[in-house]
Amino acid sequence: MYNLSAIEIREQFLRGERSALSIARYYLERIARFEAQIGAFLEVHDKQLLSRAEQLDQKRHTHQPLGKLAAIPIAIKDNILVKGEITTCGSKCLAHYRAPYQSTVVNLLLAEDAMIIGKTNMDEFAMGSSTEHSAFQKTYNPWNLTCTPGGSSGGSAAAVAARFCPVALGSDTGGSVRLPGAFCGVVGFKPTYGRISRYGLVAYASSLDQIGPLATCTADAALLMEVIGRHCDKDSTSLPEEPEEYLNHFKHSIEGMKIGVPWQFLEGLADEPRQRFEEAIEKMKQQGADLLEVDLSVLKYAIAVYYILATAEASTNLARFDGIRYGHRSPRAKTLDEVYDFSKEEGFGPEVKRRIMLGTFVLSAGYQDAYYRKAQKVRTLILESYKQAFNQCDLIASPVSPFAAFEIGSIQDPVQMYLEDIYTVSVNLAGLPAISLPNCLTKEGKPLGLQLMGAQKQDRLVLNAAHVLEKIFPFHKAVPPLVDQEATL
Amino acid sequence: MSQKPYDNWETIIGLEIHVELNTRSKLFSVAPNRFGDEPNTNITEVCTGQPGALPVLNKEAVRKAVQFGCAIQGEVAKFSKFDRKSYFYPDSPRNFQITQYDQPLVKGGSIVAEVGGEEKCFAVNRVHLEDDAGMLKHFSTFAGVDYNRAGCPLIEIVSEPCIHSPQEAVAYAVAVKAILRYIDASDCNMEEGSLRVDTNISVRLKGEKGFRNKIEIKNMNSFNFMEMALKSEIHRQIEEYLHHPHIPPEQVIQQATYRWDPEKKETVLMRRKETADDYRYFPEPDLVPIVLTDAYIEDIRRSLPELPLQRERRYGRDLGLSKHQSFALTIDQALGDYFEEALKTCMNARALANWLLVEFAGRFKESGESVLSSGIKPEQVATLVNLIEQGKVTGRIAKSVADDMVAHPGADPAVLVAQNPNYHPLNDQEEIERYVNQVLADNPRLVNDYHVAGAEHPYRRDKIFTFLVGQVMKLSKGKASPTVVNDRLKHRINQWET
Repeated sequence: MYNLSAIEIREQFLRGERSALSIARYYLERIARFEAQIGAFLEVHDKQLLSRAEQLDQKRHTHQPLGKLAAIPIAIKDNILVKGEITTCGSKCLAHYRAPYQSTVVNLLLAEDAMIIGKTNMDEFAMGSSTEHSAFQKTYNPWNLTCTPGGSSGGSAAAVAARFCPVALGSDTGGSVRLPGAFCGVVGFKPTYGRISRYGLVAYASSLDQIGPLATCTADAALLMEVIGRHCDKDSTSLPEEPEEYLNHFKHSIEGMKIGVPWQFLEGLADEPRQRFEEAIEKMKQQGADLLEVDLSVLKYAIAVYYILATAEASTNLARFDGIRYGHRSPRAKTLDEVYDFSKEEGFGPEVKRRIMLGTFVLSAGYQDAYYRKAQKVRTLILESYKQAFNQCDLIASPVSPFAAFEIGSIQDPVQMYLEDIYTVSVNLAGLPAISLPNCLTKEGKPLGLQLMGAQKQDRLVLNAAHVLEKIFPFHKAVPPLVDQEATL
Repeated sequence: MSQKPYDNWETIIGLEIHVELNTRSKLFSVAPNRFGDEPNTNITEVCTGQPGALPVLNKEAVRKAVQFGCAIQGEVAKFSKFDRKSYFYPDSPRNFQITQYDQPLVKGGSIVAEVGGEEKCFAVNRVHLEDDAGMLKHFSTFAGVDYNRAGCPLIEIVSEPCIHSPQEAVAYAVAVKAILRYIDASDCNMEEGSLRVDTNISVRLKGEKGFRNKIEIKNMNSFNFMEMALKSEIHRQIEEYLHHPHIPPEQVIQQATYRWDPEKKETVLMRRKETADDYRYFPEPDLVPIVLTDAYIEDIRRSLPELPLQRERRYGRDLGLSKHQSFALTIDQALGDYFEEALKTCMNARALANWLLVEFAGRFKESGESVLSSGIKPEQVATLVNLIEQGKVTGRIAKSVADDMVAHPGADPAVLVAQNPNYHPLNDQEEIERYVNQVLADNPRLVNDYHVAGAEHPYRRDKIFTFLVGQVMKLSKGKASPTVVNDRLKHRINQWET
């Protein structure tokens, strides 16, 4: 059953071949069996899951209409609020924070009868590329337990890769859905900025954050997009568009599609990833796509621009975690200033502190022109470069990351870690849709991903192309050997 | 203070007026915008800065701010945006305020105010939208924060440093308040903090170029206090400069924030500004810019109600009211509306204005009440004025009737007059003629003068006549009908032999 897609699970439930309760129990058993080795979840909502499954069974027995996600178990990254449940953002600061309201995405999921299975581990406040910056636990890559699952949505990616659930939600500010997707060999989709409501997503960098689905196949990702890709009145940056239909509009070929590759930007790529990327390009050609080179040389500034703008926004977004209204308040504090100082000192981890300090610095009087304002200008240039590139082509292809999953603890230099995002951040800066599609396995048996990027609002085109390619890529439907077995024998 | 050579000094004042708009909900959330409720009841996840909560702009607030911009003839920006202003304080739920930094909603504009009976025009620099903070409440062992006010919509109205005296500052603020009331943008209740004024003040020697260091004064919750605070601060600054003539001015007065202490009746230092605050402004990424069309702005401009200045000018032009009457009736919108209501049935606008501003105002002076809240209906004041106009009561009786109206609010003056025999004017021709005859007999010299003055000296003649009318009225204890007195006196004096 763990090989079933979300769509197949729903169909079996609707046909009465499986009860929601049996589906819920099945995945809880898998979690019980493998989670100790993976560490994907911060909290599994087993009781809530079972009682919801019973409700759905009841609903089906009484012939009530059932939603598009009926009986599909879904894991939620722990920076998305599920009303009444703890939402930690991977931070000590929010270790006991219980969400007082429902996020828009969770509302939409529940309205379509999805079953929430639990909250997944992440880099603290989504700041990181390996999930090592979680204040609570490490998450191990199901393909290789010595490696990270990538980040920051590493828990969600690992949960899907380990088949603890067929689908999960992550959030992507600079690659945080796509990178762990690639490291864990699952599909990770970052929609056009504004496609999915951010209401109830704890903000890291507001102008870059976007929720995205992780799934074992593009069709499941598309299904989730149909449900959660809607305009929301509570998010002013939400696209004023009608929800898109994906599945019924997928074409079965990429013939004639123009795919651009920014070759000069890929010069630093190591041999194996480069070779595998070229093989993927070859496959696209075989499918009739027109490959051409696009000039995106401005992307060499993307990492610098990203770490200025994202940290600037983060420094103010995280200012609210002061221990006054909620969150960790230091018991040592005796004065107001101590409440601020000690609570933050104790509540935030080193990476979060580093980024708050960096963001505060780049916004400071006397430095704002040199950093923040200049970065905004370069962001505009990046946007323009993409626009020009998309005048020549329909999609742009690149690797997701320079390497496959790296070993836990192997990257200590923060800047080296930031460079992991070199192929992903520019998409956020330009607000584009992009997908990370598992391409193949390396000689060491680690997944490598391919990234397809589209022009703004071309979410369907991106998903469609990936949908065609996933069937012909060597990775097709591979499952990590460790979990490629039933939990109960 | 009076002996000092203060005449060499001039004062420069700039006002920042924060006004809470009277919208139904807050600036960025659906929580009710209401004063005086139980603490922390009018809040949503947005007002308390819960993680993941996002602001959504209240269109009604934008509309009211644009109305104000149009009312002061400012330039309403077709593109403006919000910025984050970072500072840490427990009443600030996100630890940044959402305000407008470099692209405000309204640029420029002007306020016309009356200072000492003269009209003066003051320049406004800008008007922008921002959200209010919560309120800290101190208890014996702890402090709490009430977030009911957090997120309430404010407009900040920033004047140019073009105000030159405490009187001008009050006149400016009063005029701003009147406009806000007329367009119904705010209740402007200063005690509840709906209208708060911060002032920036410096002094310099007349003729000096450039500004000296300014002092900011906060916490003045009435215009009275503001005037007192400014006066005391001007005095303090000039004294400081006079006492330290050999120290460079920028060292004598250093930039600082003071607050007004109403008990001590002086300004008290809050904090020095040794370094400029760094609020790290940058564009609010959770909101899209405010983009307005010409049609939207034009529509608001066209549908503006009559503004205080327009009403004031209309009163002078169409009703012949004096400058002061026009001003006094318009600056308080409620009084102006009361006047308008009474005017509908009143025969004499000037007399009506006088009755409201002098007679009734005087009768309520002690109690601190006003005719507006007294229960006396506008049409009843109109009736009283009409009774005089029609000669049904004399001015003197009317004053007694007015006393009764104050004592028995809501009573119809026509009925009061009808029911009280003392208020019936004396119409008896014979009795009045008796009084007339007596007065003429008692004043032979004046009667002679009257005849001597003749038609060549009408002024002198009229003076004597008016005096004699007064004497007759006096004899009748004010009850004689003025029309009859006039008629009889004219008739008799011309026949009188001296």
